[in-house]
Amino acid sequence: MQSVTAIVVAHDGARWLKETLAAVRRQTRPLDRVVGVDNGSRDGSGQLLAEAFGGANVLTMPRSTGFGEAVHEVLGRLPHDPRADEWVWLLHDDCAPDARALQTLLWAAEHDPGAAILGPKLLDWLDRRVLLEMGVTVSRSGMRDTGLEPREYDQGQHDGEGLLDVLSVSTAGMLIRRDVWEQLSGLDPELPLFRDDLDLCWRARAAGHRVLNVPEAVAWHAEAASRRRRRLAVTDEHPRRLDRRNALLVIMANLPFAALIRSVFRNILGSLLRTVLFLVAKQPANALDEVVALGSLIGRPGRLRRARRRRRQGRKQGYPAVARLLTPSGAAFRRLADMVQSFIAGAGPVDSAGRHHAAAEPGEEDGEELLSDSGLMQRLFTSPGVLLCLALLAVTVAAERSLVYGGLLGGGSLVPITGGASDLWRLYTESHHVTGLGSDTWAPPYVALLALVSTIFLGKTWLAVSVLLLGCVPLAGFSAFAATKKMISYTPARVWLAATYALLPVATGAIASGRLGTAIVFVLLPVYAALATRIVAGSRRAAWGFGLLLAVGTAFVPLLYVLVAILGGLAAVSFAGVRRGVGVALAIGLGTPLVLLFPWLAGLVGDPGRILLESGLHDIALSDARLGAENLLMLSPGGPGTPPVWVTAGLVAVALAALLVRRHQMVVAIGWGVMVFGVLVAIVVGRLTVHGVPAWPGVPLAFAATGLLVAAARPARWIGEFAATGILRRAAAGLILVVAFATPLAAAAMWIKSGAEDPLRRGVRDPMPVLAAVGSAKGQGTLVLRPRDGVVTYSVLRGRAPLIGESDLEPPADATKRFGTAVAGLASGRGGTYAQTLAQYGVQFISVPGPVDASLHRTLDSEPALVRMSLSAGGGLWKLAQPAPAPPPPPGGDSAHRIWLWAQATLLIVVVILASPGARAAEAEERYADAPLEEPRGRRRAGEDRVPV
Amino acid sequence: MKSLIENRFGLLVLVLVALGALYGVAYASRPAPVAHTPSKPVRALMESLTTVCPSPGGSRVSVVTPPGAQGKGSATVGEVTRAPAADEDASGADASGGDASGGDAANKDAQKKGAPKKGAADEPTRLEQPGVLWQQDVKAGTAPLVVAGAGSMAAGLEAAQTARLDAGTQRGLASVRCAEPGSDAWFVGPGPAAAAMTLYLTNADSAPANVEVMIYAGEGPVLSDRGSGMVLQPGEHRTVKLSDLAPSPLVMAVEVSTSGGRVAAAIKAVLGKDKGVDWLPAAAPPATQVVVPGIPGMAGLRELYVTAPGEQDTVVQVKAVLKDGSYALKNKETVDVLAGSTSTFDLSTGIGGQPAALVLTSDVPIIAGMKITGTGLSQDVAFAAGASPIDLGSVVADNRVARKQESRLVLSAPFAAATLKLQLVPKRGAAPEPVEVKVPAARTKEIKLAAPPGGESGFSVVLQPQPGSGPVYGGRALVEDTPGGQLVTVQPLAPATIWALVPPTADSPSAVLP
Repeated sequence: MQSVTAIVVAHDGARWLKETLAAVRRQTRPLDRVVGVDNGSRDGSGQLLAEAFGGANVLTMPRSTGFGEAVHEVLGRLPHDPRADEWVWLLHDDCAPDARALQTLLWAAEHDPGAAILGPKLLDWLDRRVLLEMGVTVSRSGMRDTGLEPREYDQGQHDGEGLLDVLSVSTAGMLIRRDVWEQLSGLDPELPLFRDDLDLCWRARAAGHRVLNVPEAVAWHAEAASRRRRRLAVTDEHPRRLDRRNALLVIMANLPFAALIRSVFRNILGSLLRTVLFLVAKQPANALDEVVALGSLIGRPGRLRRARRRRRQGRKQGYPAVARLLTPSGAAFRRLADMVQSFIAGAGPVDSAGRHHAAAEPGEEDGEELLSDSGLMQRLFTSPGVLLCLALLAVTVAAERSLVYGGLLGGGSLVPITGGASDLWRLYTESHHVTGLGSDTWAPPYVALLALVSTIFLGKTWLAVSVLLLGCVPLAGFSAFAATKKMISYTPARVWLAATYALLPVATGAIASGRLGTAIVFVLLPVYAALATRIVAGSRRAAWGFGLLLAVGTAFVPLLYVLVAILGGLAAVSFAGVRRGVGVALAIGLGTPLVLLFPWLAGLVGDPGRILLESGLHDIALSDARLGAENLLMLSPGGPGTPPVWVTAGLVAVALAALLVRRHQMVVAIGWGVMVFGVLVAIVVGRLTVHGVPAWPGVPLAFAATGLLVAAARPARWIGEFAATGILRRAAAGLILVVAFATPLAAAAMWIKSGAEDPLRRGVRDPMPVLAAVGSAKGQGTLVLRPRDGVVTYSVLRGRAPLIGESDLEPPADATKRFGTAVAGLASGRGGTYAQTLAQYGVQFISVPGPVDASLHRTLDSEPALVRMSLSAGGGLWKLAQPAPAPPPPPGGDSAHRIWLWAQATLLIVVVILASPGARAAEAEERYADAPLEEPRGRRRAGEDRVPV
Repeated sequence: MKSLIENRFGLLVLVLVALGALYGVAYASRPAPVAHTPSKPVRALMESLTTVCPSPGGSRVSVVTPPGAQGKGSATVGEVTRAPAADEDASGADASGGDASGGDAANKDAQKKGAPKKGAADEPTRLEQPGVLWQQDVKAGTAPLVVAGAGSMAAGLEAAQTARLDAGTQRGLASVRCAEPGSDAWFVGPGPAAAAMTLYLTNADSAPANVEVMIYAGEGPVLSDRGSGMVLQPGEHRTVKLSDLAPSPLVMAVEVSTSGGRVAAAIKAVLGKDKGVDWLPAAAPPATQVVVPGIPGMAGLRELYVTAPGEQDTVVQVKAVLKDGSYALKNKETVDVLAGSTSTFDLSTGIGGQPAALVLTSDVPIIAGMKITGTGLSQDVAFAAGASPIDLGSVVADNRVARKQESRLVLSAPFAAATLKLQLVPKRGAAPEPVEVKVPAARTKEIKLAAPPGGESGFSVVLQPQPGSGPVYGGRALVEDTPGGQLVTVQPLAPATIWALVPPTADSPSAVLP
């Protein structure tokens, strides 16, 4: 004989209460007793209760009473019925059970005598097919886990065999045996809201009872408290924060000691990680809640200790029964993967799984998945962009056949790539560099960028540089193809544009002469163009992204900033008045690099010639001081690796032809304007000589080419119409096509024919001789002498080959002069104390890479202060007879540098956050909303499937 | 304006005009071609210099620094001494890998070891005035002399030792230029089967020297481990009988090289009683073109030695540069040399009696030398060897003109005409004004030197090629007629050590790239 008491707790829930009460009254298994509790409602809920249950059966409590407290109060007053098997059915005011719910639950209780707590399947109040939960479990880090997808429709797919053994069920619709309630002392009043159900069920499980979810019993739940459909009176805290804190408390209070220790560490780390993710997702409120929840738990150990003491009994013995129902550990990684995936998809890393309001996430366009019926591979390999990249990759591999694999990559502007990401990070962060003659200059910012990329490539700098430099052509093709998506709608034109752009003489020239900076800027240039169009439309986020990428490019090639700034100024003049916000967006885009690179740029302004140079080594042979006028007009920057002038003639011809098209004249004119501007800058740059090295006009010509390509590709769609209008015109169109495609095809053919190497090459000898590396103590130097065209070039290595970026550090001027005199004196063989001078700078070894010049070899041999260690065709090595102690580093650190590094990192993070796609829109939805009808989703769904009351 | 923009061709015309303007600007601003002038090294005076006279005992040692150098400076002449113990330890620790076993074996070969005299050596002589010849007869049994110059005394410091004996197995004039220690020295001359050949090694440095001796005999290279692994401690000197290393060769080339440290090497050849004695001059290192200059115009045998130390047989073209021109000798146009071996070739009938230089050309690097035999019943020999051009000038320290003695300067300009300034530096008194000497292209000129005032007992010669001159090679022959026969010795002109060429340097990180 069973006796069931239903307890309905109401708190400002009149909106739902009427339906709830009707549902209670409609139960097929009549209730033995019903009790209503009104926690100080102000919307007439108490009256509704009294109308339904009769005034005697309604208890009025203060507004601040929690759910558990209310139930305790009722059961304290309710007399026991000794003859019956007493059950208590807990109901929220926003939870309407199905008419057969109680009957089914009781049937299940009879069926399984061990079951002490049973719960119905909960569906969404509004969208009545959507599953909310069928039993809830929790991960060891306190994340609620329903095991359901967000917005999953109930099609019986989780119903299984009828009864589900679960860790916990919600208090909404929970049927619990009264003796068990009393044995466990019921819901914990310390948890007035959220996770009280989990705590109770956990304790029941630990005490050996079973917790069941009965899928055939159904209740509709509005989750009004957690979805913030009503104001909470029980606490002042934000519900999200409260939820998180209670979750942590429940986990930590119920875990046995050993598991608790693990859990503490896991939760602290996990919370910090989640905080960072929330920050990146631009949800600072979430991040704050996360931190505060953890802090309030740790900050009040007394509460945790009390809670643990109360749950001491049977906790450890019962834990195995609980542990197997907790979310497995692997789920955390799956969740992380989901978050990353959604972030890449542009949604912001919002952790939605298991949230109470998961079902309320705005839906994506549902139709999209239906379109992707073909497999991923098929989609990939039929996309013109991917095919283009594959073709460019094939061309690249064919041209770079001697560069793809082998020893060290180096030559031209590129020092042989040695070292790893950690070396680069150290180079960037240290304030005194023990390299060459020692230097106190701050490392240029591109070192940090390379270090970052190397870190992504698992610390392998050589791999990062190889991909960025050697893969510049396919990468540029991809970026050009992707960036023109919005600009040019005609795909064949985009393919032509991307292929032509990727194979420009600038690209092949940059690769051959090892200009890593130009290669990177070349890949970024189409992205700049794409973002610039969005800035002109006034997009703030695009402006931040543009500023960030411009800072990246400027760090490698400072001239880029000058070009962009001039164009930006022109754009500001022409567009700022047209649309609101363009001026601000432009200011953001152009100001961000100034702020991020500030001290380095200030140094450049002090030596303006360096603006024309780029990162890496500067060699007179890498550029053509007498670059012909025809080369400049044909976008060929000169220097090694550039094809014959006529290769790009087709591009210029097609772009000229585009001038005759009357449509898109604005775009064509702008494109030609950029072209003329770029060539003009290229002429100026190409005629200047900086520190004895003629500047290379690669980047201005890439600019010019970008303008020209857009001008030529934009009206390309017209060619089809043109061809359709007559046989003569069809022939003309064919001719234009042939001329247009001649450029990329000829460029690819010439590139493959001549090969991409020289002066860049694979298998460069490590400049640091092994013998010297082994023999020199820390900080001792090896002087490398290399006579070249009558000039003895030299460099001091400190125990290892120079890192990329170290060549841009400036040694102190007086030391350079004195050291240079000593090297000259040593190489002349005039005797004297030059070797001793070298020793003062810590030089212990002198290396002459092979083939060793005979007179230099004799000179060094006849120097009494030197002892020859080895001499072969590969090179000679001499050692100073006297020991050369490494010069001590200057005392003290550069605190200004340290402060700047922190400031720069902070600024960078802020800009990244501002530039990255995030879920700002999602925040708006979380505002308190009093009426469901105000919700856009609610409005849309309102008329659809309302279950008739 | 509006009509221009609205016209279909308006934009095209605008762009074409702009492109034309750009072309014009680029064309006009194109810089004129600059002939790339490779930066030239700068001449700078030497700052310090050390030479070693291998065996001064019984010889007259002459030391001179040409006049003209300004500033402070001094030169010391003293016996080689062992470095103080502390230095020795330090340098011993620095030395790369000691090979005690090889050193022991070599020690047994050593005929006599230089007795180290710690601190007991005579105080070194100190010279402080450039432009004055210092000469001294050194008593027998003296250890090798180290002549070290610094400052103004280093610029062109030159030293030589000359011995003259009237009778005995060592009858003859024997002179050698005191050599700078180095890591590689080549000699070519008769082999131990033809003469008593003694190798003098001196280590005047503060680091030990690990010496290897390689011999290229007439039959090919002599493979022996006896010549390797000699370790000379700092300040140590040693003589080695080459017959112990290779007893059988009749002719040979010797390469003395060090795998660590530096050594001053010299070889003395004693051909036997009434056959003559002399030092072998250091030969120019292997090259595909070698000039053997300084062959005096006097009667007697002339025997050419050519060695191809590489691994390839070769045919050497021989051309003589004589008074009246440069031509190949009839029937003696070429010499065949086998890989790694030394060949001899009698040129007495070709160049005998004429001052000459020989230009040898080959596909592979060769070294060359010449034996010059004086006339008379009791003969004396002299040796010449391949030499470097004296672009930076040359100094010969020891010249004598006496009743029977004469000094001859043999200058050759095998490729282009040359003008030289010749200055004599007497032992006492001021140096006279230099005189100009012209050598026509492809000619050899012999000058008999007359003693300047104050130079009766000895004087030095300073030669300075003038700008625009072609490469000049030369030698100095000292000839004395005695009743028994001519005494003769020859010293090829070595490039002076007045100047060093200081190359331009550039601190460039690109030095790490090939």
